[in-house]
Amino acid sequence: MLLKGVSRKPLLWLAAALCMAFAGLGHAAGSPASVEHARIRWLPGDLPLAGYFDLTNTGPRPLTLTGASSTVFGDVMMHRTVHRGGETGMVPVHDMQVRPGQTLHFTPDGYHLMLMGRTRMLAKGDAVPIRLTFSGGRSMDVMFAVRGADMQ
Amino acid sequence: MSLRNPVARTRIFLAAAFCSCAALLSGCGQDKTWDLDNITGIVSPLAFSLTDDAGRHVTAETYRGKIVMLYFGYTHCPDVCPTTLATLSQALSKLGAAADKVRILFVTVDPQRDTPPRLKRYAEAFGPEFIELRTDDPALRQLAKRYRVTYSLGKPDAHGNYEATHSSAVFIFDDKGKARLMAESSSSAAAIAHDVQQLIGGA
Repeated sequence: MLLKGVSRKPLLWLAAALCMAFAGLGHAAGSPASVEHARIRWLPGDLPLAGYFDLTNTGPRPLTLTGASSTVFGDVMMHRTVHRGGETGMVPVHDMQVRPGQTLHFTPDGYHLMLMGRTRMLAKGDAVPIRLTFSGGRSMDVMFAVRGADMQ
Repeated sequence: MSLRNPVARTRIFLAAAFCSCAALLSGCGQDKTWDLDNITGIVSPLAFSLTDDAGRHVTAETYRGKIVMLYFGYTHCPDVCPTTLATLSQALSKLGAAADKVRILFVTVDPQRDTPPRLKRYAEAFGPEFIELRTDDPALRQLAKRYRVTYSLGKPDAHGNYEATHSSAVFIFDDKGKARLMAESSSSAAAIAHDVQQLIGGA
């Protein structure tokens, strides 16, 4: 019994270490994903904002992006802008699988994070933390740069 | 269904116009080439009666002498509306001092939430050439119909938030208020700047 308990501990530590590595992955060497160009287009007042980024799966297994959250916004949703013969609207997006080596692009006039309910004032030049969540209970914290309304 | 939207309809008109005029094109004497869709003679001239973001009553005459870009959107639109306005802003930057000859008129399809103070702050975020305009139904419906623009407001969620679908076209009028070109959210700033420069030059 005792031996079993002891033998499990290194596994738990290993699992914890892996989780921490994954949670903090960012651009660390050997991490299973990296995010670049994380940015938010600022708009005045309490208007909903859009967040954009490029997520690359640098690991050996498929990743499934399931959502995002932030302490700076009451509600964060994954959306896609769709054009249907001249009419434009948004549809919610749920699970997005990213194959090993693939980059998922959240770009203007396409996939975006819809950020609603600011919990504090934001200005151009600010950095905002957003947590991307993946299937399996994993997550990744990313700093998004707040850009001007006329950001391309 | 697709025929009910302005872009598809305009494209069909354009195709028909192209076919019927193809034989005459060589004799037109116009050597200007346009990067955007040419809507000359297809879309109605600029005409409206609206309230601007300073609460003033304005009409097409208010902007006579300016190249006008007309867009229908709403400020709670997080992606395509500001993306389109940002592209227009970049196009104006490419024009340099000539940007003062252009006005971008953003007509809200969500007048209930888009009050003049909100519209004013929104316009200021993009630049001095941007003017936000509003009116209520039925005038808004009539204006949209004039430009074959469709829009609809979604159902509010638990927080009272709602989204809208709307036409993504940007109609460009010359300094006499004649409809000339149409851009879309996917049009490049370079293409828009190129064509607007030609309009400023009297093309």
